[in-house]
Amino acid sequence: MRALLLLALLPFCNAVAHEMTPTYPTFSKSFMAGISVTTLNIFNKRKDVSYYEIGVFTDEWEPIPFVSEYTIIPMKYLDTVSFDVYVSNLSLSSVEFICSVSQMQAGATVSSKICSRVK
Amino acid sequence: MKKLLIVSLMLAPHIPAYAEDTPISGLVQTRCLITTDTNGVYGNPLPSKLSTTAADGGVVPIVRYDVTLADAYLAKITTPTAFSSSPTLSDTVTWTGTTAVSKTSDAGMSGYEAAKVTYGSTTQFDLTIAGSTWFSSESTAVYGVAKSFVGGSYTAIVLAECIAK
Repeated sequence: MRALLLLALLPFCNAVAHEMTPTYPTFSKSFMAGISVTTLNIFNKRKDVSYYEIGVFTDEWEPIPFVSEYTIIPMKYLDTVSFDVYVSNLSLSSVEFICSVSQMQAGATVSSKICSRVK
Repeated sequence: MKKLLIVSLMLAPHIPAYAEDTPISGLVQTRCLITTDTNGVYGNPLPSKLSTTAADGGVVPIVRYDVTLADAYLAKITTPTAFSSSPTLSDTVTWTGTTAVSKTSDAGMSGYEAAKVTYGSTTQFDLTIAGSTWFSSESTAVYGVAKSFVGGSYTAIVLAECIAK
């Protein structure tokens, strides 16, 4: 009976988490002229999420073109992924936020989004 | 025989005892961690109503925010305004939702609830103190004018955002 109760409660106790660092990334010169780069890390402790989408935005949340190895990063449970974001120096001054958003699978009920700020 | 034993002991390779320090390193960075503590479940107290409140037989989703630097992040939580998956519905669904602080790790966070800003279905909290804060988001969906929801599985998504200030 006790085991049955535990089984019934388990689906509601699975703590899952999403983390992105650093909070305040800084851009530096890349290996290409006119292009700057910064590196961020995502930690996936969400069993219900296998992909995170990356986005770069202005302070008005307008999207800014950028290049990264993946725009949608595939991640296994408990994976930490380090990724570079390349932005043209022409739009560098407009970059305000770099965000990662969980891509939902069927059955997931909470979508998480973390945004670092370029100061 | 005794001499042989002494010589062999002298020639035996030394087996020194090593004492090594094994370092465990760690780095504490400014960060925001969003954790889903409890997944929400809709109760169906009336044929036309889905609700996460306990009184309606549902489970309120709870999201925890951990921040390691004071005054560095805003928490924005948006309750659903549509189903992410559902049977085909022919009438409109009216959505209501509220988000509140349900638990804190620091007594100083008690002011978060009074200082929250709500616009549309989004509630914004200023995380001015480092530590953990638990937010609960109630959500209710009412179908048409007292119309019965179509039988099937319904899913709606709460969006939890952590935006650096």
